[in-house]
Amino acid sequence: MTRSLSITVDPIAEPALVSGRTLSPGMGAAVSFAGVVRGLEGSDPITALEYSCFVPMAEHQFHLLFDRLAERGTVESVRLVHRIGRVAVGEASLWVEVVSPHRAEAFQACQWLIDEMKRVVPIWKKPLRD
Amino acid sequence: MTIRVTFWSYFADLAGCAETSVTLPERATVGLLLESLYRSHPALADLRRSTLIAVGVEYQDADHVLADGDSVSLFPPVQGG
Repeated sequence: MTRSLSITVDPIAEPALVSGRTLSPGMGAAVSFAGVVRGLEGSDPITALEYSCFVPMAEHQFHLLFDRLAERGTVESVRLVHRIGRVAVGEASLWVEVVSPHRAEAFQACQWLIDEMKRVVPIWKKPLRD
Repeated sequence: MTIRVTFWSYFADLAGCAETSVTLPERATVGLLLESLYRSHPALADLRRSTLIAVGVEYQDADHVLADGDSVSLFPPVQGG
C-alpha cells in the first residue's frame, strides 16, 4: 500500500490532488473526502478555526493507522492532507483519499481512518470570531 | 531523574505554561509524575479523567515506567478533521 501524508499550513489544493491520482488496472474505487470548516460552532457564528498539532506524534500516529489499513490487504493507496494553523470558514482542513478495488472497502476504509484520526491523532482546534 | 513535560492545546493555558520539568526518583511511573503535576498545576487535576498522556510519540498509561530524559505530553481529547 502506498501512502502520502502532509500536515501543512498551506491551503489544500484539492484539484491538484485529484489530478495527481494514480490507480493500477485492478482498482475500481477512489473515495475522497474533504472536511470543510463550518461557519457555526454549535449555534455561534465563527470566522475560522485555528488548528494546533503535536506534529511528530501526529505523523507517527497517522502512520500507525496507515499500517493498520495496509494489513487489510484491500487498499492500494491512501493520501491524507491535514491543514493546521488558521483555516477560514469554507476552506478545507482535511482531505483524504483511499483507492481500493471495490467501493465498499474504499468507503469503509476512508470512514475508519477519519474516525480513528479523531480518536488518536493529536490535533486540536479553536474557534475564532475575529 | 528529570522529565520534560509539554502541555498541548488549552492545557497550556490551564497550566500557565507550555512546558515544565519535573524531578522524580529513578523508575518513577507516569502516575507519580501526574501526582506531582496535579500538585503544582491544580487546574489540570480537574480534567484528569479526560487527559491523554504520551511519552515521546506513543500513548502511555499511569503504569508506564519513565526514564531519565523522557519527554511527556499531556493534552485534552483530540479534535482533528
